Amino acid sequence: MRSFRRTYLWGSILLVGANGFALLIPWLLKRAVESLQFPGRAGHSAGYFGLLIVGAAIAHGVVRVFSRTTLLHVGRRIEYRIREDLYSALLSLDLPYFSGERTGDILSRFSNDLTNVRMLVGFGFLNVINTVIVYISALLLMGRIDPFLTFCSVLPYPLMLILVKQVSRRIFVHSKRAQEELAAMTSHAEESIAASVVVKTYRREESRIGIFRELAEKYLFSSMKMTNLRGIVIPFMASMSGLGTLIVLFVGGNRVISGVMTLGDFVAFTGYLAMLVWPTVVLGWILNLLQRGAASMARLNAVLDAKAMVAESPSPVAPESVRGELELRGLSFGYNGEPLLKDISLRIKAGMNLGIVGPVGSGKTTLVRLIARLYPVADGMIFLDGTDINRLPLKGLRDVIGFVPQESFLFSRTIRENIAYGKEGATDEEVKEASRLSRLDGDVEGFPAGYETLVGERGVTLSGGQKQRTAIARALLKDPAILILDDPLSAVDARTEEEILAGLARYYGGRTALIVSHRLSALRGCDRIIVMDEGRIAEQGTHDELIALGGRYAAIHREQNLRAEIDRY
Amino acid sequence: MHFGGIYEDEIVGKAYDRRLLARFLRYLRPYRWLVVWSILLLPFIAAAKLAQPWLLKIAIDSHITAGRMEGLPLLSLGYFALILADGLLTYLEIYLLQYLGQRVMFDLRVELFAHIQRLSASFFDRTPTGGLVTRVTSDVEALGEMFTAGIISIVGDILVLVGIIGIMLWMNLKLSLVTFTVLPVLLYIVFAFRTRMRTAFREVRARLSNLNSFLAESIGGMTVVQLFNRQQTERREFTRLNAAYRDANLPVITWDAALFAAVEALSSVAVGLIIWYGGGEIISGTLTFGALVAFIQYIEKFFSPIRDLSAKYSIMQGAMAALERIFGLLDKEKIPPSPPAPLPPGEGGRRPGEEIQPPIQTIEFRDVWFAYNGEDYVLKGLNLTIRRGEKIALVGETGGGKTTVTRLLSRLYEVERGEITIDGTDIRSIPLGELRSRIGVVLQEPFLFTGTVGYNISLGDDAAQGRMEAAAALVGADRFIRNLAGGFEEEVRERGSNFSVGERQLISFARAVAFDPEILVLDEATASVDSASERLIQEGLRGLLSGRTSLVVAHRLSTVRDADRIVVIHKGEKAEEGSHDELIARQGLYYRLYQLQFRD
Ligand SMILES: Nc1ncnc2c1ncn2[C@@H]1O[C@H](COP(=O)(O)OP(=O)(O)OP(=O)(O)O)[C@@H](O)[C@H]1O
Ligand SMILES: Nc1ncnc2c1ncn2[C@@H]1O[C@H](COP(=O)(O)OP(=O)(O)OP(=O)(O)O)[C@@H](O)[C@H]1O
Ligand SMILES: [Mg+2]
Ligand SMILES: [Mg+2]
Repeated sequence: MRSFRRTYLWGSILLVGANGFALLIPWLLKRAVESLQFPGRAGHSAGYFGLLIVGAAIAHGVVRVFSRTTLLHVGRRIEYRIREDLYSALLSLDLPYFSGERTGDILSRFSNDLTNVRMLVGFGFLNVINTVIVYISALLLMGRIDPFLTFCSVLPYPLMLILVKQVSRRIFVHSKRAQEELAAMTSHAEESIAASVVVKTYRREESRIGIFRELAEKYLFSSMKMTNLRGIVIPFMASMSGLGTLIVLFVGGNRVISGVMTLGDFVAFTGYLAMLVWPTVVLGWILNLLQRGAASMARLNAVLDAKAMVAESPSPVAPESVRGELELRGLSFGYNGEPLLKDISLRIKAGMNLGIVGPVGSGKTTLVRLIARLYPVADGMIFLDGTDINRLPLKGLRDVIGFVPQESFLFSRTIRENIAYGKEGATDEEVKEASRLSRLDGDVEGFPAGYETLVGERGVTLSGGQKQRTAIARALLKDPAILILDDPLSAVDARTEEEILAGLARYYGGRTALIVSHRLSALRGCDRIIVMDEGRIAEQGTHDELIALGGRYAAIHREQNLRAEIDRY
Repeated sequence: MHFGGIYEDEIVGKAYDRRLLARFLRYLRPYRWLVVWSILLLPFIAAAKLAQPWLLKIAIDSHITAGRMEGLPLLSLGYFALILADGLLTYLEIYLLQYLGQRVMFDLRVELFAHIQRLSASFFDRTPTGGLVTRVTSDVEALGEMFTAGIISIVGDILVLVGIIGIMLWMNLKLSLVTFTVLPVLLYIVFAFRTRMRTAFREVRARLSNLNSFLAESIGGMTVVQLFNRQQTERREFTRLNAAYRDANLPVITWDAALFAAVEALSSVAVGLIIWYGGGEIISGTLTFGALVAFIQYIEKFFSPIRDLSAKYSIMQGAMAALERIFGLLDKEKIPPSPPAPLPPGEGGRRPGEEIQPPIQTIEFRDVWFAYNGEDYVLKGLNLTIRRGEKIALVGETGGGKTTVTRLLSRLYEVERGEITIDGTDIRSIPLGELRSRIGVVLQEPFLFTGTVGYNISLGDDAAQGRMEAAAALVGADRFIRNLAGGFEEEVRERGSNFSVGERQLISFARAVAFDPEILVLDEATASVDSASERLIQEGLRGLLSGRTSLVVAHRLSTVRDADRIVVIHKGEKAEEGSHDELIARQGLYYRLYQLQFRD
């Protein structure tokens, strides 16, 4: 904000200049009128003053352009800066935050609320300065002509202040509500559009439209409340300044008749007073902007001030190099109070491949998320190479982890850009190598645009398996010490799975790998397998040990191979 | 770096203002009485405003200059009454206009949203969500500014202008003509600015849309951004778009300021001219002093509607740019137009639009060709017959086109060559709603809405609501739902983020079952579910599927082994078809897949 101070100052100076010229005009007018009334007394002819007025008018116009552009451009620049800050805030916020927010709501803050704030810092500021300048100078000039009359003419203004106070608070409250409703409407729209395939397949168009209509209606009514308040303020302000004119007409008229005041002074006085009408009306409008801006700023501050729960350690220790040994010590975690993961202890040696299986909702994804610190864990529970991960720099930790999330999120960019996302400045060769490993190369070569194919939002124009393999390629390209694969092969066929697994086996080398899967076939080659159940490790061991144990793992194995055995030729 | 073309919204083309406005006026029709009333109020407001300087002139000319005090109180009272009337009427006017504006925006918004909901699926492959959201919200809001600024008061401004011109001409022809010499300059400026402003505004709207598209995606992918430590890359792209939006706005401000300043300056120039010219007239005695003062006041009044008009001018240009975008989207057709294939008589063909009688006996894919883009065929001459009560399985390599087959069946996309028929009727001639109501699909990627678990199963449909619990039990979702604090009322956050992927899949499976369709399409419906749950579902489904037709896509062959027929799709073509045993005996693609999956 500080850097804008100078621009504001410069803009204000220009504005003073513009208003100076504007004020010069009624003064010239006064001189002109006097020269007409008492020809000879004033040194110049009316024509001379007329020309001066034209000159002042043109100068006024020029300075006005510069003052306006300066101050309104700064409004846009501040908007830009706030938007940058908002985005930075988002970049630093974590999964707990985003899983509690709605995309549409954030979108609405970025555009609608920011618009309100920008109106305040641009137009609002411009008009505040304008109004103050005009008020002060007009009052000064009027005071020079006739202090008593000036006093009389501003008599109605205290009345205005009372109204302003009354209305402000309510505008704030209603504006905030209106913005919230706009956000709710935006969220609904965003979600319905994103889910358009679901909506179509289940013929929910009418129902979604119905809900949208309700939300839009709510927004309409709160907007009308706002309008009502604004509708009162503006004419009220106009009337107040009209009242001032009335007083001047009455009192001033008397004074002219009784000879205390010249007619020329009187005309000039009413001229100055007329200058006050517009800024007074604008004042009402600014009041409205101010409250709306404040209400919206409060909503923006909610984002700017949001604190990530996954915070950088105050005294981070950056390890020299990472071997990739992980240790969980009595790890407990819950999303909302009640524990989901309970007392998990586990040692994963560097270079080990750990398989994780378990029923739906048993906490597999949660476990691997915690290792990448997507959710906050208490101190002393997860260690990487013997250091508590909470003490590692966040960036450093994530640099050594390659993560394939259970749901493949792709950006609406080209396939190349999506794969290269794994590593800043990845070469085309690396991209190709990664897609060979994840068996995506064949598919991509079949596309007319190859690696330059745009994949649509979230990757909609790819098949489920292609998306998943792109996400794998992205993680492999990163060349991490620890690879986390959360159900990475759920959308590929057996042959592709086989090929990917073969490729991965070569790729692993000394890397630590955690592979979550429902299909045991994907865990082939794991050194150790854990079976999760209701947030606990129910069984662990090698494949053979677990089969020998005859417990859950053996049951899953039997389940998945049962018919195969029957059918075996 | 600068990513692909996807964040680049089109900057919509040429302006056809008259057509645009005419079309817009149709939206005012339901509220014509509001329009009439707000227009009727205008002459009164204008009169209240016009009479004020007139009274002032009388006060100066016949009282103050003449030194007569009597009558002045009455005049003042009159003046006061005028001010009050002015304020009151203005309030009413603002209210009516705003109400009108809000109503029209509401109507447009709902129409736009409804239209988007009905656009074809292929439209969404190309159009980012954020951009569409921008149309429904910000673009419509920009239109609303037109009402806030008082589009209808333009009529009033013009009326006032005409009135003032009339009075001025009547008061003094020569002085008036002198004043009006500034008008040609003004007109020239206005016309010179028009196209520039519009172009600038178009760019503004498009840039905002790009920014929002990027942002929406960024919010969705924030975890990926953070996991890959790519905050800098994203920030750079955001900054680029943000700066582009800011820079697009700057010329708009400059044009607007120039217009504003020109009007201000010209109004003073006019005053100067009058003094210069009128001064001579007074000296020569052809003009009274009071008349000159009143005339100068009228110039003020004359320029005030012009000032208003010019302030509205840029808002109008902005609103028109928004209107272009709104109508542009409304003109995008809903369903790709494909005339229903004319059916030869005597082949049991039905007329288009006719309902299909339950139960459906056969579904046939006849030489179906399909490409998402141009000539890049994804399905190449697929033939497939599904009879009533059959379970047909689609298996094959990833990216082979299995999901595409299911999409074509529910007509999310249109067949390009060949046809899909239901009981002999081309599906293109079956009403879309009718067709889709027969088919229940479990999509490959489950999508949950913000709301409750219950809403996500029933989607607000009453009949489905009734079957909700049974459906949840059938797919085994009831076990975890029962464990939730709120049960079916448990909150679901955006895209189901507070549920595990498997749980989401179960809920979306329950949804399909709750809609009780004749034909069930399962696209990898159990891919993220453990084997025990999968077995439960299989058992549950056995009862449900008896008598029902089903199309099952699966990579896990255990789920398809008991299918009546298994179709292997390879690179968009049918490679093999037959029962499990037949295909195993053939030792082809299926056999190899099977071997791979079940080797120990
Ligand atoms: N909306 C789309 N626009 C353009 N191309 C698409 C679109 N959807 C799919 N494709 C392409 O069509 C081909 C077939 O995709 P489809 O989704 O039908 O495959 P699939 O057999 O279901 O694969 P998977 O087993 O991986 O889900 C793929 O090459 C894919 O990239
Ligand atoms: N953000 C969240 N907030 C609240 N609860 C959550 C959240 N994410 C997951 N859960 C709950 O935590 C439990 C474990 O979820 P998790 O995603 O770890 O399961 P999972 O073992 O990966 O299951 P799946 O096999 O379906 O992927 C589930 O019951 C789920 O509903
Ligand atoms: Mg999971
Ligand atoms: Mg698919």
